[in-house]
Amino acid sequence: MVWEYLSYIFWGVPWTLGLVGGGLALGFIIGLPIAIGQVYGSKGLKAALDMYVWFFRSTALLVLLFLFFWGVFPAFGFKLDALICSIVVLGLRTGAYQSQIFRGAIESVGEGQLIAACALGMSKLRGIYHIVLPQALRISLPGWSNEYAIILKDSAICFALGVQEILTRTRYVVMATHEPLLPYFIAGALFIVLTYGVTKIINIVYEKAKIPGLVGRM
Amino acid sequence: MIKTQYAIAGIVIALIVGAAASWVMRPLISPPPPPPKAKFAEIPPPGTKIIHGMDAAYPPFTEIDPTGKAVGFDVDVVDWIAKKYGWTVEHKPWEWAAIVTALVKGDLDFIASGMTHTAERAGEVWFTIPYYTYIHHILVSIGETRTKEEILNSGQYISCQLGATSDKWAEKLLKEGYKFKKLALDSYELAFEAVLDGRAVGVLSDSAFTGPYFKERPDVAAKFKELCTVGGVESYAYATRPGDYGLRNALNQGLEELMASPYWDELREKWGV
Repeated sequence: MVWEYLSYIFWGVPWTLGLVGGGLALGFIIGLPIAIGQVYGSKGLKAALDMYVWFFRSTALLVLLFLFFWGVFPAFGFKLDALICSIVVLGLRTGAYQSQIFRGAIESVGEGQLIAACALGMSKLRGIYHIVLPQALRISLPGWSNEYAIILKDSAICFALGVQEILTRTRYVVMATHEPLLPYFIAGALFIVLTYGVTKIINIVYEKAKIPGLVGRM
Repeated sequence: MIKTQYAIAGIVIALIVGAAASWVMRPLISPPPPPPKAKFAEIPPPGTKIIHGMDAAYPPFTEIDPTGKAVGFDVDVVDWIAKKYGWTVEHKPWEWAAIVTALVKGDLDFIASGMTHTAERAGEVWFTIPYYTYIHHILVSIGETRTKEEILNSGQYISCQLGATSDKWAEKLLKEGYKFKKLALDSYELAFEAVLDGRAVGVLSDSAFTGPYFKERPDVAAKFKELCTVGGVESYAYATRPGDYGLRNALNQGLEELMASPYWDELREKWGV
């Protein structure tokens, strides 16, 4: 009887990947500028960005989901669909975590390189864009793949807004079939495949893109 | 230069004070806006889309079939009422812990999912007439020989469903001074499993779940016996937003008509409730 529900569980994969992909992408767009601001920005800017990072890293994801879905967005006069809101909240939160990954990578690039770039006539911004970031992004890949694995697990919490990702569907199947072991085993296997598969792809990209002479791999 | 700075500071302070004063005095100047009209203050006309909130993990009242379609006793009842009024219904699964908030905030239009009519919930939502009654009870392993008092004072775990009325009853019993430990799990199913695998000595369930569950799983039923009932008779009702007179009245009339018809017994037979 559980086998009849197999396709229903599998159809949770696009929802999960949508949450994870959207959240990671938004987090990248938010996290990278925050990292640059924290390394090169003024005192005031650094303080403001630190507040953002502190807030989103300290607040539980479930609280953030409810806060934004029923509080923040309606307060501004619009209501987002549960899936879009989940992606936005995941993105805002992972942006805070990703900013620290990128910040560490940026700071690991020798300061002398940016100084040399400026000495050659490049503006600071061009130096960051052409010299620092290409190296920092490659250095950050291992840490970034870890963030993917984390957000994949976090996506299950979006059930609270009615998003029917893998774990939510699995729970429904358990209730309908009264068989807990097999559905949860299938869900666990799906998460393992998604985690291993994508981190393997990121590892291949890292191997091709890594800076020669830099030690360490995922 | 200094005089200019003082002037600018003075203007800014005056603007801030003026804005604050006008905000405070606003109710005196203009009347407050009328409260927004409830979405379904009138009976929804034919063709209206109504969003039915349900917990898809509560068979046989609401669950999903292998194609992902919502099915269950409450789903069939809602479909019958919707057909009577010509509505289009969307059966929307929602996490139980947040379902009342979703209803109040407008993401759902009503809840029909084996929801107990409690005083606490009646503070936030409006309930229809009751359509199903049940009792809470504690079940133990068939071989258990201890009495109710001994079990409740054993210091061992009694399982229940997290967030359900059985959870609240467990809390009430603990407040009364009983000495057991509460094991709140994600579902009644897991609560029964906890007794079967020895983690709990009893399960605090409700007959709305136990009856159909035991019919479907006679192998499990054979391993349990009822220790005692807890509290009085409880009832299920549908929930609407406060102010949605029209929708609630329509649901009430629909339920009354259906309960008086032979189809009601057919549905109860079909779903084992």
